[in-house]
Amino acid sequence: MNRGILCAIIAIMKIKTFLAVAACKLSRFMLRKLGKGGTNVPGRVALAIDPKLLGVLAKNVTTIIVTGTNGKTTTSRMIEKCLSDSGCKYFANKSGANMLSGITAEFAMNSTLGGKNKYEYALVECDEAAFKTVSKYVDAKCVVVTNVFRDQLDRYGEITHTLNSILTGIKNSPNAVVCLNADDSLSVSMKDEISNKVVFYGVESEIYKNRVHEVSDAPYCIKCKSEYVYDYVTYGHLGGFRCPKCGYHRPKAEVTVEKVIESTADSSTILLKFGGSEYTATINLPGGYNIYNATATVAAGYVLGFKADVIINALNSFECGFGRMEKFTVNETDIRMILIKNPAGCNQVLNFLSNLTRPALFIVALNDRYADGTDISWIWDVDFEKLNSISDMLTGVWVTGRRADEMAMRFKYAGLPVEKIKVIKDYDRLIKEAVLQKNPVYMMPTYTAMLDIREKFSKDYGFKEFWE
Amino acid sequence: MYELKICHLYPDILNLYGDRGNIICMQKRMEWRGIKAEVTGISVGDALNYDDYDIFFIGGGQDFEQGVLLKDLADGKAKAIRAAVEEEKVFLAICGGYQMLGSYYKTWDGKQCDFIGALDLYTVGHKDRMIGNYMYQCSEEDGGIVVVGFENHSGKTYLGDKVRPMGKVLSGNGNNGEDGTEGARYKNVFATYSHGSLLPKNPKLADYILKTALKRKYPNINLEELDDTFENNAHDYMEHRLSPK
Repeated sequence: MNRGILCAIIAIMKIKTFLAVAACKLSRFMLRKLGKGGTNVPGRVALAIDPKLLGVLAKNVTTIIVTGTNGKTTTSRMIEKCLSDSGCKYFANKSGANMLSGITAEFAMNSTLGGKNKYEYALVECDEAAFKTVSKYVDAKCVVVTNVFRDQLDRYGEITHTLNSILTGIKNSPNAVVCLNADDSLSVSMKDEISNKVVFYGVESEIYKNRVHEVSDAPYCIKCKSEYVYDYVTYGHLGGFRCPKCGYHRPKAEVTVEKVIESTADSSTILLKFGGSEYTATINLPGGYNIYNATATVAAGYVLGFKADVIINALNSFECGFGRMEKFTVNETDIRMILIKNPAGCNQVLNFLSNLTRPALFIVALNDRYADGTDISWIWDVDFEKLNSISDMLTGVWVTGRRADEMAMRFKYAGLPVEKIKVIKDYDRLIKEAVLQKNPVYMMPTYTAMLDIREKFSKDYGFKEFWE
Repeated sequence: MYELKICHLYPDILNLYGDRGNIICMQKRMEWRGIKAEVTGISVGDALNYDDYDIFFIGGGQDFEQGVLLKDLADGKAKAIRAAVEEEKVFLAICGGYQMLGSYYKTWDGKQCDFIGALDLYTVGHKDRMIGNYMYQCSEEDGGIVVVGFENHSGKTYLGDKVRPMGKVLSGNGNNGEDGTEGARYKNVFATYSHGSLLPKNPKLADYILKTALKRKYPNINLEELDDTFENNAHDYMEHRLSPK
């Protein structure tokens, strides 16, 4: 090719990158001026100008991708703490915008107009379905898969479909070390399909004395369709699985929780083992599912070569994200916001809540917009019946959101006293009444309900906006 | 004491879309009226003595596990289910369970799976899924009840002469998105695509099905009215959302 033409093509590509990054930055700036989050639109604008922009922007950045059904955000925040405490220069998509457009926007915002990234590390939380596309443009160094559970079926289709998306994503990331959950028969099945180095992490024994009744998302062997036998179950389909027919079984894990030493309403203390040593760690978030998030973080930290004390310390000092047990204190009332989005995640929240020892008010905010999942059938797969065991301690069960009436009905059929169930669709009134409570409030919103309620909180009580 | 025995078929496999809400609903609506409800799960390898039960429930599931299921059906359950249907036992079948009662399922690339063959209907797979809230009206013989629910299927179902549709689509796709029919009725079989769960927010349909089963056993029984404020609110909200503005 003629040298002149080559130079011209390179110049045009550079101009395209410049325009895309500039448009992204400008639209984000304008949206923020208007008081909007601007997490997706700028990315879409940039992609319209240059569909392959992410490939340019992600060059020469060490990228860590966190994907899987549940626990992506919390795990990302824990890994982030490892990065910051290690003195790494990094950026992360903290706003929860985890599709191609949101991730592209985050890279663009952290690049020069010429498309050169200003940071050494990128920490990317990535939607499972978007992972197969994002991975085409990003050469990840480490991929963390938290778990694979049944999720919004109207968006993702069947569970095996989600698994295939993740598998494709990993195949697109040949240079990545992959951290897989040894207790999840679905995640583990990917090992044989990939040539990447794999680090398994897992929990070696039960974590709850008393668990909700839940249906397994994967009762039958993914290889031969026989029923699994379990040596122990931690929750859902996670645990020491093995197939009696074909022999497929939980692999030995390199990063393990040897035992749960103590779990309280605010934290868990665990005995961890990795790299030949044992460590006692406290996780500053309660709930067995956060033990898994912590273990996934340790696996990632181990792969990336962080110091053990930095990793252990991060588990106890990270700032939890965006509706994941996030605490708002108004006057004297503590309000914890816990995102719910699918049966497995919601059942784990109930496992935690049904171990509370103080009276509390529960609020569920159920929306059915696209980002929530338009099908709310899943609330019938959640063991809300479990709440009967603590019904004396429930000062009330309130419901809000577009599908509040359906949620009220779910609580009625769960057997909770009808007089405790209250439908308050107006968010202003809901928040006003909630902050008058003397007891703690546990609010469980779906995604868009959380955005709406958070916005009200920040307006009325001055909490920071989610993108800050 | 009045009593109904419910058989939940393949509860560990056909459990994908919250359809167990229908079981919870039937149980509670009987319990609130002082009627005993006994639910038995029957799955792969279990014997099915269909005469032991009054109501059979089959929910939706995912394709992956279908292989396990077809073999078990062929090993005897299909025959028992056909006999139970002919003897006018009450059935509620949702989505995958509905398709399974039919003759066969043909995938979009032409592979055919033979199903139970209890109902004169068949299903053809398509690449595009029909997903969303939808609404239909049951036929006059079934009281013209307006049903709201959520459909999520890629199979298009076509009815033969021996069955009638469960209702007429008011909003959404229904059986195939073409002929305006939804679900199938045959003897005491109620088959529909509706998840949601179906029965809780359609209390009239729930009671109609329970009554059908109870009348077979106790011809003079009267079902007392329940306070359905929550149920009707949930129903009316969706009916309003789906009605032409």
